[in-house]
Amino acid sequence: MSGVKRYLPVVVRVALGAVFVYAGVTKIADPVGFAGSIAAYQVLPYFPSYLVAAVLPWVELFSGLLILSGYRVKAGALVIGALNLIFIAALASAAVRGLDIDCGCFKEGGAKVSPLLALLRDLVFLAMTAVVLTTGEKAPPEPGGSAGHPCDCTETSGNQM
Amino acid sequence: MKATENTFKGSTKAAGEALIILLFSALVGISWNHTLLLKAWKGEATGPAAGTTPAVATAAAEDPMPLGLEQAKELFNAGDTLFIDARDRGAFASGHLKGAVSLPLADAKQRGKIALPPRVTPKTTVITYCNGFSCHDSMELGKILLKAGYTTVYVYEGGFPEWRDAGYPVEKGGA
Repeated sequence: MSGVKRYLPVVVRVALGAVFVYAGVTKIADPVGFAGSIAAYQVLPYFPSYLVAAVLPWVELFSGLLILSGYRVKAGALVIGALNLIFIAALASAAVRGLDIDCGCFKEGGAKVSPLLALLRDLVFLAMTAVVLTTGEKAPPEPGGSAGHPCDCTETSGNQM
Repeated sequence: MKATENTFKGSTKAAGEALIILLFSALVGISWNHTLLLKAWKGEATGPAAGTTPAVATAAAEDPMPLGLEQAKELFNAGDTLFIDARDRGAFASGHLKGAVSLPLADAKQRGKIALPPRVTPKTTVITYCNGFSCHDSMELGKILLKAGYTTVYVYEGGFPEWRDAGYPVEKGGA
């Protein structure tokens, strides 16, 4: 039980970081497609859609990398929390307007994720961000007193299909 | 007391660092995509005010440029644009953008020949669409049209569902 308490924050942090790195990388590879996804929300005009499509994936990538690596975790988590709030607002507005669109959150390989489902997913990410923010960047203390990183953090995949 | 002060200091520091992350990402993102942004910017400048085609789709483009709902509607209103429905004929018959012609992707692939009305020349602005963002047939068809020599090809990615939901003109029947 104490093991869960010790390692859960690390697992949550690494998983959240991986999800955002993955989300960023897939969108960096296809900015035009992502601009289309943003345009589908019918919130931003033409050029701002492209501007957001150009910048947002990099914000996701860098903040994801920070919390994944354990460096400047709080700052990275603040950015990710703010992003999640924006995503949730956009998805809620799409759901309220009954827009039949794909959320555009990840490159889902043809599978469509409805705004409502994506909203629920973002609420989970928001809760994970809260865990990361409250536990901070310190690794949990080892029973023996070592301050070493308790996880080699390799294969925690954030792939969402 | 001191602990509260430290927490406050820590939060301010993290907020400052968060701002740096945002600025740095913006710098990298804009530099990385500067060509695309420049194209999009030009498209905006020649868009609604001039009543002309956004300059983002060029003959040299490998992929057709996507259009949002409003841009598609502007070109629809301008009237000299042909909307091409990439869905199958059944879907087309049950509802399509007003004035659109049907050219199912499967047909365009099979025949290897683009069967479009005679008034359509390679210079005509054409916009392909299908069933929204979950559907990639319009992008595929757009690529085929570009290869076939059509110079101004856009993909309206919101497709029929978004157009219909926006209350814009649709019609049934025909093919």
